[in-house]
Amino acid sequence: MIQIKAKSFLYGFLLLSTVQFAECKSKPKESDTSGQSTRIDSSATTNTPSAPVEIAPDDALQTGLRDATKDYPDVKAEANNGEVTLTGSITRDRLPNLMQSVNSLHPKKIINNLTVK
Amino acid sequence: MVLDIKYKELIDTAKSSGVSDLQVREQNNVLYIDGNAPSGNVKDELWNIYNKIDPDFRAGDLVLNVNVAVTTGSKAKVITESSNLNIRKGPGTDQAIVGKGAHNEMVTILNKTNDQWVLIKTDKNVEGYVYTQYLELT
Repeated sequence: MIQIKAKSFLYGFLLLSTVQFAECKSKPKESDTSGQSTRIDSSATTNTPSAPVEIAPDDALQTGLRDATKDYPDVKAEANNGEVTLTGSITRDRLPNLMQSVNSLHPKKIINNLTVK
Repeated sequence: MVLDIKYKELIDTAKSSGVSDLQVREQNNVLYIDGNAPSGNVKDELWNIYNKIDPDFRAGDLVLNVNVAVTTGSKAKVITESSNLNIRKGPGTDQAIVGKGAHNEMVTILNKTNDQWVLIKTDKNVEGYVYTQYLELT
């Protein structure tokens, strides 16, 4: 008798935990769906111009980078498919000025791997 | 459009401080903010906010291209750190140096070539191209 009671208790526990697990699983699904609809709402109300962003070709970027880094002998800059990678080192007070120059060259992206001293 | 939330303070400040032709676009997980700032102070303020949101500009998710509008005939101050400013024959550091602008000297803007280079004239009538970053445009 004790064994049967123990078994039925175990089955009951298993059944309960399965139901609870299923409930847990279904909850994130609901919040995912509501999250998606929020995103659609926000993009519909954002005033975004549809013109694509103009990205400079690599040779123009290289020329621009040569000029921008001329006064920063410890900085190296490379352009690859519009992505500019900065390596080397710079002092923190000069970093904004360099970044301002690089940002105005119409790069696709700027990867700043500079060591800031 | 997650990045316009991250950089909301920057976008709001650009709008409220009179940046003209302002464009905010997100493409391939990079936010592009373009426009013309009414003064060097506004540009500096935007860069300070950018540096606050993304310290040392590490995230690689923003291209901030807001430049000070150049007015032909206006005066600008040479703001090199200590040395003289090279005035060149053409817009590029590979071009010959035709003169120098002294630190804090006032020069006249003749024409804007692009966001990097402007054609200027000194009071001693030296005419040539200088790198915009070393001019404080007024």
